[in-house]
Amino acid sequence: MTIALAVSPTRMELLKLRQRVGLAQKGHDLLKEKMDALVIEFFEVLRRIQEARTKALEQLSVAHRALSMCFAVVGTLETRQVSREARRELQMEISTHHIMGIAVPAVEVGEVERNVLARGYSIHTTSSVLDGASREFERALKLLIELSELNASAFALARELEKTKRRVNALEYILIPRLREALKFIMMRLDEMERENFIRLKRIKAMLEKRE
Amino acid sequence: MSANRLIKIELSKLNVHLPERRLSLREALSSAKPQVVARDGSVHTFKREELEFLAGLLPEADRDKLQLPILIALEPKLGRGTARISGEAEAKVVSQVLEKELTAGELLIYRPEVAILRRKLPTTTQYLFLW
Repeated sequence: MTIALAVSPTRMELLKLRQRVGLAQKGHDLLKEKMDALVIEFFEVLRRIQEARTKALEQLSVAHRALSMCFAVVGTLETRQVSREARRELQMEISTHHIMGIAVPAVEVGEVERNVLARGYSIHTTSSVLDGASREFERALKLLIELSELNASAFALARELEKTKRRVNALEYILIPRLREALKFIMMRLDEMERENFIRLKRIKAMLEKRE
Repeated sequence: MSANRLIKIELSKLNVHLPERRLSLREALSSAKPQVVARDGSVHTFKREELEFLAGLLPEADRDKLQLPILIALEPKLGRGTARISGEAEAKVVSQVLEKELTAGELLIYRPEVAILRRKLPTTTQYLFLW
């Protein structure tokens, strides 16, 4: 209300304010469209996360079963020893791609599953059960990398969504109502001035008629 | 900074993800790394499998006509959640993807269809905000 009263009640100001309301409304509509589009993208990423998580959990469960089997067949100490011998260097290319100007990570990973000879432990002294467990964990690792990429995308989208929502709310609940209030104030004031003028003219006319 | 200026800046930032120059499907298919440079300088890469999917939907002669990315134009005056697909080849492809009848040279699609389109063509479609 204070802002509404701070504007000068002139026709020029009224025209300017009308323009500003139009612009603010346009901005609000567009940002709302952007928000809708972001929601679509966000839900799509969430759907993919759900799928990826289910797959990763299933694969991890398979891998842990294989590891338990390995502990039972090869022995816990031996398995731990072999895991210390194993070497792993995974080449990943982390870049960004853009969804509506929002940078989301894109992880490109080569083949995670390795040949048994590339794992770094001796195959003469270990069992094929151990190879199976390693293979299952490598598959799980690939799925976990995909899941982490999707999670990061969801976070980036959620942040942008929050920012856009704040802007939409600022326009919808603060700026536009204030401008409309100011507009209403000017229109009322101009009407009032017109009425005052009309009454003044009427009185002058009456006085002039009386004098005659 | 005045509210007006802030709104203008906000509106100008809405389309910075759009490419400076669009690629035809033929150009994209023949390129080793099919990508476009956006107005903000970022690079947008198309997935080859999507390009091949699109090529399967269009006759050979129309590959020059289809400009990528396909723009999903969101215009508040059309109503909230309504989008326009302009361009003959673009509308044709989108109508085939959505299994929707194409009546004129352009196509109007609605929010659930936009979601399906984005799911099927995540890299070869982009949003365009019009006012």
